[in-house]
Amino acid sequence: MPQFFNKKLLLLLVSIIVLVALIGFSLREREELTWPEKFLKDTTGWVGNVFNKPVSGITGFVGDLKELQHTYDENKKLKARLDEYVLLKTQVQDLKEENEELRDNLGKEDDLRKYSPIQATVIGRNPERWHEMLTINKGKRNGVEKNMAVITSTGLVGKVKVATDFTASVQLLSSIDKANRVSAIIQGKDKAFGLIEGFDDEKNLLLMKRIPYDKKIKKNSLVITSGYGGIFPKGLPIGKVVDVKVDQYGLNQTAYIEPSTDFYDINNVMVVKREVGGVEDEMDGEDEVK
Amino acid sequence: MKHFILSFIALLFFVFESIFAQLFASDVFGADKILVPRFIMIFVFFLTMFGSRKIGMLYGAILGLTYDAVYTEILGVYMLLIPFLAYLISKCMKILQNNILISCLVALLFTAVLEVVIFQMNIILSFADMGFAEYMDRRFVPTLLLNLVFIIISCYPLKRIIEMLDLQGELE
Repeated sequence: MPQFFNKKLLLLLVSIIVLVALIGFSLREREELTWPEKFLKDTTGWVGNVFNKPVSGITGFVGDLKELQHTYDENKKLKARLDEYVLLKTQVQDLKEENEELRDNLGKEDDLRKYSPIQATVIGRNPERWHEMLTINKGKRNGVEKNMAVITSTGLVGKVKVATDFTASVQLLSSIDKANRVSAIIQGKDKAFGLIEGFDDEKNLLLMKRIPYDKKIKKNSLVITSGYGGIFPKGLPIGKVVDVKVDQYGLNQTAYIEPSTDFYDINNVMVVKREVGGVEDEMDGEDEVK
Repeated sequence: MKHFILSFIALLFFVFESIFAQLFASDVFGADKILVPRFIMIFVFFLTMFGSRKIGMLYGAILGLTYDAVYTEILGVYMLLIPFLAYLISKCMKILQNNILISCLVALLFTAVLEVVIFQMNIILSFADMGFAEYMDRRFVPTLLLNLVFIIISCYPLKRIIEMLDLQGELE
């Protein structure tokens, strides 16, 4: 059958082989992107940055107008909480000083909580929405590295997946990827450790798995990062527990966590660099990246 | 010059897609609906229909590769899928009548095909965790509605621009 092996069919077969090879190549854990990918990312990032300013200006203005309607009510509520706030602030100040003093006494300088933030603006989002990723306008030139934690003012949103010279892509906690794990603590009398992995996107809840079965977890307890992963600082807020279920085999529990940040409305983020380094370079992000 | 104008339009759509996704990611269109803008693909489809097949496939491959590298970070999927669909479109248009209404419908149909293929692809690579019925309700129908609106708005201007550039004579 000579016409069976015609040019078009051959081309189709070759392209399927190329497809499989390319997918295999890109699914590998890669430390660095190849230079054409970096070039494309930086170029489109630059164009996105140019467009971002006027667009965010307009949307910001519209958003402000909407918020103006609720100002009166909000103001009332906020005034009521102001007294509370003053009290809390003095307490925090007091505790901070005490903490510092005690640290001085111990001579302990390392602190997993300490970090330095890099401010960044979101200039784009993966339109495909299968891989929940954001593009931000700071890259390696500004000190952003792979696997750093990304937060907003309300809490943890994800980690840096790829950093090029001028942009970086942030993988959100809500993206479904087996390599996307964060070591976390549920606060309470009896602290419970576990890993945040997976997202229930119908209910908008994060899943925290591998909590030992005998831990009693109260609803509404707060969840923070543990800092044991190697790169994330300790104490970044993630959300609060809304439900707990025992796993299939009864060995572990899974907590459903309502994230403190709205993953769908993120405009400004901070990339945080922990001041205490990981153990070794090879060990970096042992928990976050597996 | 022709290619300069075309690339410029393509780049605009490319960046606009991402900005659109960022702006409308929150629950503007209902809480759990996911709308995926497919502007780049629609641009390539129209380019194939009103321009020429070769240019359509060429732009499809380049834009697909850029899309893969910049947004999804899995190379190859869009790079091969878009030119393939462009090829099929050109075959379709040989049979069908070439008027603007039919063109719009064909573009919508192929957007739907693209959506479903990408969904299956993500299921295979285990990046998606969604049943087919849920997918239809939450992603497929809203996405098609959004892209239908885009097709209706953009089809006439794009047709005029592409026909003005007169791509037929250049590469065939």
